[in-house]
Amino acid sequence: MVLEKEVLPYLTWLMGGSGTELGTLYRFLIIAAMLAVLALLIGFLTALLRYGPLKAGDLTYRVLVNGFSELAQVSPRRVWALARLAVKESIRRRVVVVLVVFAMILLFASWFLQTGYRDPGKLFFSFVLTATTYLVLFISLLISALSLPQDFKSKTIHTVMTKPVRAGEIVLGRILGFTIVGTVLLAIMAIGSYLFVVRTLYHTHAVEVANLESINDADGNVIGKKGHTTSSQSHRHEIEVDAEGNGVALSANGHDHEITAGQHGGEMAYEVGGPRGLMRARMPHYGKLRFLDRKGVDVARGISVGSEWTYRSFIEGGTSAAAIWTFDGIDDSTLRRADDGDGQYLPLELIVRVFRSYTGNIDRGIQGSVQLRNPDKPDIKTDLETFTAKDDSINDINLSRKLYDPQQKPIDLLEDLVSEDGRLDVIVQCLDRSQYFGFAQADAYLRKPDGSPWVNFVKAFLSIWVQMLLVIAIGVTCSTVVNGPVAVMFTVAFIALGFFKEFFVNVATGKQVGGGPLESLVRLVTQKNQTTGLDEDNLSVQLMHAVDKFFETAMRSLAYVLPDFRSLSTVDYVAYGFNIPPSKVYQDLTVGLAYLAGLLVIGYFLLRTREVAK
Amino acid sequence: MAGDTVIETRALSKIYRDFWGRPKVRALKALDLEIKQGEVFGLLGPNGSGKTTTIKLLLGLLFPTDGQALVFGKDATDVSKNERIGYLPEESYLYRFLNAEETLDFYGRLFDIRHDVLKQRIDDLIKMVGLDRARKRQLKEYSKGMTRRIGLAQALINEPDLILLDEPTSGLDPIGTREMKDMILRLRSEGKTIVMCSHLLADVQDVCDRIAILHQGELKELGRVDTLLTVADVTQIRAKRLNPDCQNEIRQVIERHHGELVSIEHPTTTLEELFLSIVRDSEARPGRRAVAAAEPAAPPS
Repeated sequence: MVLEKEVLPYLTWLMGGSGTELGTLYRFLIIAAMLAVLALLIGFLTALLRYGPLKAGDLTYRVLVNGFSELAQVSPRRVWALARLAVKESIRRRVVVVLVVFAMILLFASWFLQTGYRDPGKLFFSFVLTATTYLVLFISLLISALSLPQDFKSKTIHTVMTKPVRAGEIVLGRILGFTIVGTVLLAIMAIGSYLFVVRTLYHTHAVEVANLESINDADGNVIGKKGHTTSSQSHRHEIEVDAEGNGVALSANGHDHEITAGQHGGEMAYEVGGPRGLMRARMPHYGKLRFLDRKGVDVARGISVGSEWTYRSFIEGGTSAAAIWTFDGIDDSTLRRADDGDGQYLPLELIVRVFRSYTGNIDRGIQGSVQLRNPDKPDIKTDLETFTAKDDSINDINLSRKLYDPQQKPIDLLEDLVSEDGRLDVIVQCLDRSQYFGFAQADAYLRKPDGSPWVNFVKAFLSIWVQMLLVIAIGVTCSTVVNGPVAVMFTVAFIALGFFKEFFVNVATGKQVGGGPLESLVRLVTQKNQTTGLDEDNLSVQLMHAVDKFFETAMRSLAYVLPDFRSLSTVDYVAYGFNIPPSKVYQDLTVGLAYLAGLLVIGYFLLRTREVAK
Repeated sequence: MAGDTVIETRALSKIYRDFWGRPKVRALKALDLEIKQGEVFGLLGPNGSGKTTTIKLLLGLLFPTDGQALVFGKDATDVSKNERIGYLPEESYLYRFLNAEETLDFYGRLFDIRHDVLKQRIDDLIKMVGLDRARKRQLKEYSKGMTRRIGLAQALINEPDLILLDEPTSGLDPIGTREMKDMILRLRSEGKTIVMCSHLLADVQDVCDRIAILHQGELKELGRVDTLLTVADVTQIRAKRLNPDCQNEIRQVIERHHGELVSIEHPTTTLEELFLSIVRDSEARPGRRAVAAAEPAAPPS
């Protein structure tokens, strides 16, 4: 479950929290102001070289004043006319071919993706959403970056620019038109994806009636039956039915089935419904995580088991090492009522990464324990609840409200274990000596009632839509100043750097092993590995570092304006079945609009200061 | 005819530069022009003389290297002046994937025109330029002449006060050429100002009130066409039905007054007139072989 980054509440994200971190809005304003000053300076210097100081000053002033007054005069009517033109252009240039490509991708996918995978919903949703993202970004790139240069090449822009059209309207109209085209394509792909996944994964089973065993109560009365289903799509389910024959095929491969009883030829027959829960929108209630080391001392992180990915840290089994989550806001509404109406329980779900330092009995899972504790009165805690950890999947641990302390005295979860301000500690330990459990903060959560999977699916497409909007805006803006292929290249560079922004920033800030761009190149050519030391006294090495410093400064500046495409993606949420927090959706939309506004202003000035007929 | 100044250029210059900003071509050198409302003004010159550059500077498609161009008293780079301008480029730079109606609708929507008015105007313009039957065809299927016609229609979509025509008759057949010239004269009669550039001297002569002759970016001549073309020391007498005796008598009169006779001859018509009369005749009497019946038309007046 790669939901690594905590999603801040929208307002905290926008305006900044109580910490030192500046809100996104302020960062946007600062970057915008810096860019404006920089652009003004470059514009003035270019004019200075060409026309001398007096005219340069006059030109800069006029461009600036006219620019902002023209931006304010944007007419919706003209923008709409230009948007309609962009739509017609896309359609007449056969942009719908992309749907054929999409259909072909789905056809191939149905050959190669296995429905018998452990969690086929995850595999399929992940695939279709990723494929849709790349396809939509690709087509957005082509239509947006090639359109204006084509207008310049065919000189149709002359006829448009001699009408009372502001440059900003051309940029905005293009972006709007292509976004409309992209939105329609995306909507069709969304429906296609959904139908594809649901229809491909649809299956039922039959109940193996011969192998059903009766379940009796204390008096020997039959209260139900258990057994299993036949195999379909490489799996089968355990089943439990009541005395009337209604029940459920228990969860396997990420879904379950409803079983209803019917009559067939005078005999009882079981009817197994379609798969349920292939698509979920779990609503997690996250807590704060801290660790205890093997001696029981508070530490910020667990230990490393040598994994390169440092997202999770580990606790050692059979010691006092523990992962402790503190959840707040716990009250009666946090608890769920059991389906049979018999009491309440705390719906805890736990994702455990198991690391075995020795193989042991591979068929036997590693044992762990969960313990609840009152954060204010550490002496009040429950007895250990043990579980067998399923690696890298969700372990459901439902803790009844009525619990026992280590002395087996009954305690009530809400009244005894939850502090006055609604907090509760959940302590997880690994019980097997020399084996390890790895955790990150998002790995334990209390599950709230699920959100609508439909809405979640739409939200995922909304985030693809934001990415598409960004690509279109970048493509159109680039194309105001350079020709088609160069605009495509620029936009591709933006997207590629945006997808690897973290790596890019690490190189720019010197955190990446192997040095800056030039040093990496030298290492590549001289076949030195990334960690091999260099002779720092050597003049050429010093020179290389100096050049890299320059590159790194430029890269750091660029990193401020690069969109982080990977963080915009919400594919994992849907694939792993988690609800996309509304805050995340608002953040993505805000980011999209902020880039749109910035790129619009840049696009306007680039086009306005360009000699159209040159 | 002379009214308010519509176009004014002051020492307007344009230097084309290469990628590094080094001067490459001096396309226009300190042009001073003043064009009044209601004039048909012709910019003449050989290829590369700066005609199109001047037009593009007036439209704000190029920025002047030096000097200033004012249109309706506003700087040429001011977009709002375009509300009152119509422009027919040298080649009709139009979206080939649109049809005639869509083209006019698109350009019309860029102006502040009420929807019903625009619809009516599109209809009128399509009929006026004779594309009624091709109104639903995409422009990529159009011939060059048809493209020029739709280009003209889009230039007139906003009922402009100033119309800039870059080589308006290029690509047109003689009928189209004549219609274009008639159109220019009609627009003038409506009080519009027209600036056209052309290297087809006959076209310019036929319709322009004033001309400027450019060569290598410099203004070489500027004035009224009739004044410029008047050969002051030659007198032309045109008369019908003179018999040889009368002609001899005229010769003698000229001799007596110490004049120099240049020529007495029957004038020829222009090829344009001949062609138009044949076509007109052919349309009036279809099926008849027009060449045999063609008679020299009356010489142009």
